[in-house]
Amino acid sequence: MARKQTTLTRAIILLGLAAVFLITLDLADSNSTSRVRRVFGTVFSPVEDVMRVVTRPLGNAWRSFRDYDEVVDENARLREQVALQEGAAVAAAASVRLSQELLALNGLPTLAGINSVTAQVIGETPTNFSQTVEINQGSNSGIKVGMPVLNAAGLIGKVTEVFGDRALVMLISDPDYALSVKVVTMSSRTPVTLPPLPVEDAPTVNSVLETTDTSSTSSTSSTTTTIKGFTPGTTTLPPEVVAGGASNITVPIASQLAVRETGVLEGRGPGTKPIVRFLDASTRASAIEVGAPIVSAGGSRSLAPPDVVIGVVSRVVERLGTAGPILEIDLVADLSNLSFLRVLLYQPITETEK
Amino acid sequence: MLDRLLRMFASRWFRLVLVALVVLSLQTTLFGQIRPFGYAVQIVAIFVACAGATHDVQVGAVTGLVAGFMYDAVLATPLGITALVFGVVGALASLLVQPFREPTWWLRVLAASVAAAFGEVFLPVMNSVVGLSGWLQYRIIGVALVTFVGSLIFALPLMPVTRWTLRERAGRGD
Repeated sequence: MARKQTTLTRAIILLGLAAVFLITLDLADSNSTSRVRRVFGTVFSPVEDVMRVVTRPLGNAWRSFRDYDEVVDENARLREQVALQEGAAVAAAASVRLSQELLALNGLPTLAGINSVTAQVIGETPTNFSQTVEINQGSNSGIKVGMPVLNAAGLIGKVTEVFGDRALVMLISDPDYALSVKVVTMSSRTPVTLPPLPVEDAPTVNSVLETTDTSSTSSTSSTTTTIKGFTPGTTTLPPEVVAGGASNITVPIASQLAVRETGVLEGRGPGTKPIVRFLDASTRASAIEVGAPIVSAGGSRSLAPPDVVIGVVSRVVERLGTAGPILEIDLVADLSNLSFLRVLLYQPITETEK
Repeated sequence: MLDRLLRMFASRWFRLVLVALVVLSLQTTLFGQIRPFGYAVQIVAIFVACAGATHDVQVGAVTGLVAGFMYDAVLATPLGITALVFGVVGALASLLVQPFREPTWWLRVLAASVAAAFGEVFLPVMNSVVGLSGWLQYRIIGVALVTFVGSLIFALPLMPVTRWTLRERAGRGD
């Protein structure tokens, strides 16, 4: 009996020391812990799959019991919302296409040029603290650690663990998530509206078309090939410009153009809004409006390509001294209701180095 | 060699790993979805607490360490943190029952519930200790309460499971 107790005490000491050792290794980003996780994932995956099939009816029963009324209400609300937004979506799609067109003409990277893999969420985080979801695509589909993950609304997180046919995605609300972002603010100055051009000075149809042709022929051939659905030379001009003198032309002055502040977005756990910190100390909080869009900053060391929509500013907290303001963010993606996701096959340099 | 291998397969620790795999898969599937008030019931913590409440401190601690390592392997948190926390949970459940000579079933359930809820408070504390920020929040109270109530419900059916899993057989491996 005494021998057995000694053996158990030794086992406890050994396992405790192993735990401390592994924590140290893991915090130092050691590959060995990732390997341990991968091996365990291979063993655990079939057991989990079987359990998922067995427990699915129970999970569905719980959800139908808990969510039925809410889903009915939400369905009615969403139908109304969809009807309202159908028109706006068409206009937005046209704007996005135009923006991509302009970026491509200038040789700038766009999301349209990055391949992606569509995946389905098959599991939520089992804990009450970390914010992860499991998706049904893995390294077999080209997914690697660090790749950004989006849903239809915007950025939702990044890939943190990859197995053959599944991967773990850390959500943007996880306390360990951080990403460099841009805050797009607008100046409050009144726009300058130019008077209508005299008819004799207005450009004619021929002169505009000639100008368009000469300016685009030299640049479109090499830069627009990655945009689906865009054919160079088919851009049409708005009739107002061509008509000349028929309407006012609003020219934004330099200070009226969007001002971009960069900072770092950090998750703060479930139920708490993420924040943006490390904004330039000279930035006045009043210069950032509630509702200003937040997009990824991009850059060679960023975790995501530039201009991926993340959310909007919901509150600006001004701080004294040299510390810049802190922004609370309303995410555009609903993290509590994720189903189909898009993994951008874009691996940041920081993750490639690992 | 073969004899040693057979002894290992017959040992209660090998049985523990197999049962813990099933409990862990329940955690990542069913209990990951069923979230009363938005909190997941921590069935693995309850399992460990039940093992502690039905056995001595050492067995409780080893069960917690083993189950914790397995749980760590499916989480994104540093490997080993949950193991240490669950080791404490198993030992604590056993310590809570020890003062009573012949603890009743409901006393064991209560001890397991207190230990499991303590584990849910201790886990974010440990994460903060190793330098992970953002874990200490007021929602810990809600998490601990849901785990406590969940344990009151699930500890009773889990206790026979832990007894069977950690049962020693005379003359066979332990």
